[in-house]
Amino acid sequence: MEILARAIDLSRRFGRYPALSGLDFELRQGEVLGLLGPNGAGKTTCLRLLSGGLHPSRGKIEILGIDLSRRPVAAKRHLGYLPERPPLYPELRVDEYLRHCARLHRVPRRGVKEAVAEAKRRCGLDGVGRQLIAKLSKGFRQRLGIAQAILHRPRLLILDEPTEGLDPVQTREVRALIRELSKDSGIILSSHVLPEVQAVCDRVLVLHHGRLLRSEHLSAAPRAGLCRVRVAGAVDPGQMARLPCVEAAIALGEGRYRMILTEGATSGDLARQIVGAGLELHELGPERPDLERVFFDLIGAGDPA
Amino acid sequence: MIGIIAGREVRSALVTPLPWILLGGGQVVLSWIFLKVVDDFAGLEADERVASLTLELTLNLFGFAAVILMLAAPLMAMRMLSGELRDGSFELVAAAPVRIGQLVIGKYLALVGLMTPLCLLPILNLAWIAGIADLDPGQVAAATLGLWLAGLMFCSVGLYASSLSTQPGASVLVAFSILLVFSIIGRAESLATPGLSLFGWLSWNEHLFWFLAGAVRASDIAYFLSFAGVFLALSHRRLSNRYLQ
Repeated sequence: MEILARAIDLSRRFGRYPALSGLDFELRQGEVLGLLGPNGAGKTTCLRLLSGGLHPSRGKIEILGIDLSRRPVAAKRHLGYLPERPPLYPELRVDEYLRHCARLHRVPRRGVKEAVAEAKRRCGLDGVGRQLIAKLSKGFRQRLGIAQAILHRPRLLILDEPTEGLDPVQTREVRALIRELSKDSGIILSSHVLPEVQAVCDRVLVLHHGRLLRSEHLSAAPRAGLCRVRVAGAVDPGQMARLPCVEAAIALGEGRYRMILTEGATSGDLARQIVGAGLELHELGPERPDLERVFFDLIGAGDPA
Repeated sequence: MIGIIAGREVRSALVTPLPWILLGGGQVVLSWIFLKVVDDFAGLEADERVASLTLELTLNLFGFAAVILMLAAPLMAMRMLSGELRDGSFELVAAAPVRIGQLVIGKYLALVGLMTPLCLLPILNLAWIAGIADLDPGQVAAATLGLWLAGLMFCSVGLYASSLSTQPGASVLVAFSILLVFSIIGRAESLATPGLSLFGWLSWNEHLFWFLAGAVRASDIAYFLSFAGVFLALSHRRLSNRYLQ
């Protein structure tokens, strides 16, 4: 797959403070890459460097093979960027603002109307085209920020905390939008909301104190042979482990168990055997990679529970 | 791209009260000065008059209009870079395929467009007596040109100061201080070696005086244009150090 963005030894210092040190990564077509880290980890600095809004102190960024430092205008043609604070002009109306953004991103004059209508439709802004931006709610401003980033159909989309300020329904819509957009482009987003990263990203870079701690692939598919179950009442873990399709059972408390199945066994087999053993099965689901555990282990903050 | 940036700046400025307040306030002040000059002139006998009415008007009316411009240009420039840097809206152009040069020129042209009506206020006042007084149209045109050229310089200083700080108030003070220094620097001439007119040459009001007196000199035009160019180049430099464009 085509490499859309590549960072090589990317570093940025603010005075003596190293905000980002020696970051290396690649982003491919169709991939959603999440930057995860606590406040001050260097997520926003990394995204500002990638958007060309900040000079790197060291290192190199390539966007579709174009060096961002040497040919910034050519590289930025492929970029869409939503900063931490949406870059809006409160005195303009929504339609005026989007038309301006389209022209700024070199959308041909004939295509502006269509691009604006499409971005508004995708971001749920159809009803507010005539409204002054100053009068929009925080959620609508965030959506408008996303609309300006996508209206020229960039190959690389950089989103800094895209669901910040959105209500749960809007958050779900934006996550779906990100997944949809990732079919045609590569997306880099930052967030400190772990479930969000888990929900939309294919891969996550965990940053802490400006350094890359880990690059983790988040597979949407459950890990084979691992299940999580909840049964009624207190059950002896040994009884769970003795079920024919179970290799090992780890008690998690309150009737919850992590089950490692024998080779070839399925969750259906497990369900039948639990019920057959006279236990009351309340829940049975796949065990997904526990990003929260990985994250807290890496930044050394201990187990949140 | 320059037109897109300039158009947006002008549109945004016109929906805010600042240019209208400056225009309205400027007109009130200038009309008061205009009436005072005409009244004083009319009260003198012919042999008591030391200068023509045109010269009295250009020196007082256009001279004071230059002071208003000196205040107005930094105020209008402050939101163009400083305000955008503070609000975060500058990130939009920083991430767009726009060159710093296009950005600076676009914003500068918008500023000049907003400043030009202020330069025309003195002429608007003179229109009151155009039919009844014998004014020298050439001298009035020269004074208007001089005022506009001084405005070009003030706008570029304002834009440069606006690129220095994320605090619009601070950028206005910086611009005003620079312009004030270049206004009073001519007075240092008496302190320097006799005959050395460098300080006098640096002072913008010395150059504006010749326009107000009706003399359009290439050296004065070059002064205003070169100063405008220098401060635009400094703005470009300042933004280039900050952004990749």
